[in-house]
Amino acid sequence: MAQAEDAVQPLLQQFQQLFFISKIAGILPQDLEKFRSRNLLEKSRNGMIYMLSTLILYVVLYNILIYSFGEEDRSLKASQSTLTFVIGLFLTYIGLIMMVSDQLTALRNQGRIGELYERIRLVDERLYKEGCVMDNSTIGRRIRIMLIMTVIFELSILVSTYVKLVDYSQWMSLLWIVSAIPTFINTLDKIWFAVSLYALKERFEAINATLEELVDTHEKHKLWLRGNQEVPPPLDSSQPPQYDSNLEYLYKELGGMDIGSIGKSSVSGSGKNKVAPVAHSMNSFGEAIDAASRKPPPPPLATNMVHESELGNAAKVEEKLNNLCQVHDEICEIGKALNELWSYPILSLMAYGFLIFTAQLYFLYCATQYQSIPSLFRSAKNPFITVIVLSYTSGKCVYLIYLSWKTSQASKRTGISLHKCGVVADDNLLYEIVNHLSLKLLNHSVDFSACGFFTLDMETLYGVSGGITSYLIILIQFNLAAQQAKEAIQTFNSLNDTAGLVGAATDMDNISSTLRDFVTTTMTPAV
Amino acid sequence: MSPNTWVIEMPTQKTRSHPYPRRISPYRPPVLNRDAFSRDAPPMPARNHDHPVFEDIRTILSVLKASGLMPIYEQVSDYEVGPPTKTNEFYSFFVRGVVHALTIFNVYSLFTPISAQLFFSYRETDNVNQWIELLLCILTYTLTVFVCAHNTTSMLRIMNEILQLDEEVRRQFGANLSQNFGFLVKFLVGITACQAYIIVLKIYAVQGEITPTSYILLAFYGIQNGLTATYIVFASALLRIVYIRFHFINQLLNGYTYGQQHRRKEGGARARRQRGDVNPNVNPALMEHFPEDSLFIYRMHNKLLRIYKGINDCCNLILVSFLGYSFYTVTTNCYNLFVQITGKGMVSPNILQWCFAWLCLHVSLLALLSRSCGLTTTEANATSQILARVYAKSKEYQNIIDKFLTKSIKQEVQFTAYGFFAIDNSTLFKIFSAVTTYLVILIQFKQLEDSKVEDPVPEQT
Repeated sequence: MAQAEDAVQPLLQQFQQLFFISKIAGILPQDLEKFRSRNLLEKSRNGMIYMLSTLILYVVLYNILIYSFGEEDRSLKASQSTLTFVIGLFLTYIGLIMMVSDQLTALRNQGRIGELYERIRLVDERLYKEGCVMDNSTIGRRIRIMLIMTVIFELSILVSTYVKLVDYSQWMSLLWIVSAIPTFINTLDKIWFAVSLYALKERFEAINATLEELVDTHEKHKLWLRGNQEVPPPLDSSQPPQYDSNLEYLYKELGGMDIGSIGKSSVSGSGKNKVAPVAHSMNSFGEAIDAASRKPPPPPLATNMVHESELGNAAKVEEKLNNLCQVHDEICEIGKALNELWSYPILSLMAYGFLIFTAQLYFLYCATQYQSIPSLFRSAKNPFITVIVLSYTSGKCVYLIYLSWKTSQASKRTGISLHKCGVVADDNLLYEIVNHLSLKLLNHSVDFSACGFFTLDMETLYGVSGGITSYLIILIQFNLAAQQAKEAIQTFNSLNDTAGLVGAATDMDNISSTLRDFVTTTMTPAV
Repeated sequence: MSPNTWVIEMPTQKTRSHPYPRRISPYRPPVLNRDAFSRDAPPMPARNHDHPVFEDIRTILSVLKASGLMPIYEQVSDYEVGPPTKTNEFYSFFVRGVVHALTIFNVYSLFTPISAQLFFSYRETDNVNQWIELLLCILTYTLTVFVCAHNTTSMLRIMNEILQLDEEVRRQFGANLSQNFGFLVKFLVGITACQAYIIVLKIYAVQGEITPTSYILLAFYGIQNGLTATYIVFASALLRIVYIRFHFINQLLNGYTYGQQHRRKEGGARARRQRGDVNPNVNPALMEHFPEDSLFIYRMHNKLLRIYKGINDCCNLILVSFLGYSFYTVTTNCYNLFVQITGKGMVSPNILQWCFAWLCLHVSLLALLSRSCGLTTTEANATSQILARVYAKSKEYQNIIDKFLTKSIKQEVQFTAYGFFAIDNSTLFKIFSAVTTYLVILIQFKQLEDSKVEDPVPEQT
């Protein structure tokens, strides 16, 4: 136990920079010193006060921003349709709502987040005991990449908008910097979620890899056994000939596939649904696998020790499989807890993503038609900045959805890997164990959802993109119709004005009656 | 749920006579069920009839009984209800007849100018909207009455099944499964207040003298709405009852999961020292109870699923029509609210309040319904998930587990609205997103209309 504790590095070690930045930005209330020294997330009263004060500061600043930049909007309200105005108002505040929900949730969860990482550490220890060591360094790299990406995106949006579209002669324009705060804070918060999720996914994959490794060692063990017994390959031809000829084509197919699938699955664990080929080629076509995996020819003396397969001993392997299954369940539970902690922020992020994406595109359309748009969405005036904003917003949402989807996929793949074990060992007792455990695995569900309203998977992504498209079409159609109606009325009114003027003129001068005739005849059809 | 919710119960006189002497309730009395053990088994057999069944939902039941939606059943024993007596049956029949007569009268007056004074508005579309709303309300309520009358026997059967289940639980565990159903009374009061408020608002809004016919119309409209809402609350309460039972067996099963077993091994010694007086030999024997308990749990689960299905069958149609009705109401009221707020002219406080009252009523009902359905469905599905966490050493136990898990693979538990869609939290989400879409379209159309109507006006003057 103590040895495992030493060997397993806590996941939070990789979070140092992220925690420091989040602490300064006021996203997490936990104690900084304790985190530095012991990698623990603990409640802290000072942190809470600091966080609340930053929250209030941000809200006040943002409102000042809206107020000071809203002067243009006030003239806009008169000219614009009420719906656009109301939607605009809602859109300006959704960012703030998102930020506030993030911070309040972090406050509410401050005790539980630490627990979560503690549970992950325990899982790591158990995994270590089963012989798979988690490497957390990739996570540290990931965090750094995400942080850099965030800063690049935020800065490029902020600077380009400021330079191109904000009147920076006034000092009040510096307030524009505040407009980046909500998205920045939200992204930092989501990096926590994404990285933790990624860590869970890695753990699922580690379990899968361990199972596949068992399969591999057993295969090698079998080969080695066969090598030891000096069984000549022609022994297989002693099988009934009709069986052989019937399956000749299959044998060829599978033999061809095996070279790829075995090599791949042992390295990256990405060979999906290739249970059958491996199994059959092993059990019925021993010589096929001989031919296929000849490239690493096992030196008989050295493999004497190495190829002692665990799968041969059902009683021993049962313990291991049982433990792996329990760890799998524990990771699923952690995943659920993680999802629950971040359920409201994710819901608000998704709402934000949907609204902002639609709005940005709609306002881009409006800007190309030289219509006025709310001042906070001035980035839509420039297509290039719009592209950056859109990719930033959608990147956040899509990455989270993608990662959730991938994680639940990885958790479901464990069953496949488990069955590979059963198939390779080809042992009745082991089969029973595998069947029992795979039934259990089937019931370990980890589905990520936003408050139960919708699950985070590719289907939802598809639905959301469909929703954005249809809303855009509706909005643009109505915008077009309103524009046409306005133009028609304007021409009608101007025509009336001219007609009225001309009519007044006729009283004085009869000559102009011809002009009036001319005007009415030429312009009436235009109406 | 906190993990260590185990309590060791001294067998009561009744349970001691039972073949399975030692039973463990997964509930800790002070935390989880407040009055689960207060009125416990021993005094029960003596007095039979003073303990009414379904005491928790008594208020709502009496309302439904009085309005003829529920049969006025006879209590045969503590755990059984019988069919209603002839008089009571006749009473329900009579009430339902009156309701149908009133409905016919209402529909008649809707199509004649008698009710014209109730339909006055600024625009033609508003009148049509109110009309449709009224018709939908009548339809929903009539359907409710018909379905209830039709399902009298199956409703009684469901109640009996629930009672039998309770009896079994009590016999084995001495636990009285009851929960605080305070929300029911709150909802009832809320519904009544809302409906009364709406009627008063309507009366104030009507200009001139109100004819008696209008009064009848309004009152009946209010009653219809209220009773439909009450029925929905009742359905949620039934679901909540089923939820508690599911939760009970899940808690029971939870004790056998590897996490709990592990903790028991670690904390067993300490726990025994702490509560040494309480039957110390229970802890080690725990896993040995598994076959008996699992058998009991499977049986309970199956029964509960049947009850769940039965409830679903009973209020299928009602739910569909109610969801349609409330979808329509929510949409029109949101629209009206928007028109009122953004309208250039006067803002009528009357209509504002009216819209708010409707929105509150329907949104809260929808939330209640979808939440109860979602909770129960998750809890029902959780059983197999919890069972998957039981790691037994012996083959025999593993086989028991496997059997249940295999059975539940294809057993999708869902509460559906007549098979059209499943009702859970996502339904709420879908309804609101649909409402938003319609609102955007409606408002855009209105603006288009306005811009066409507005601008020719200065030309005429």
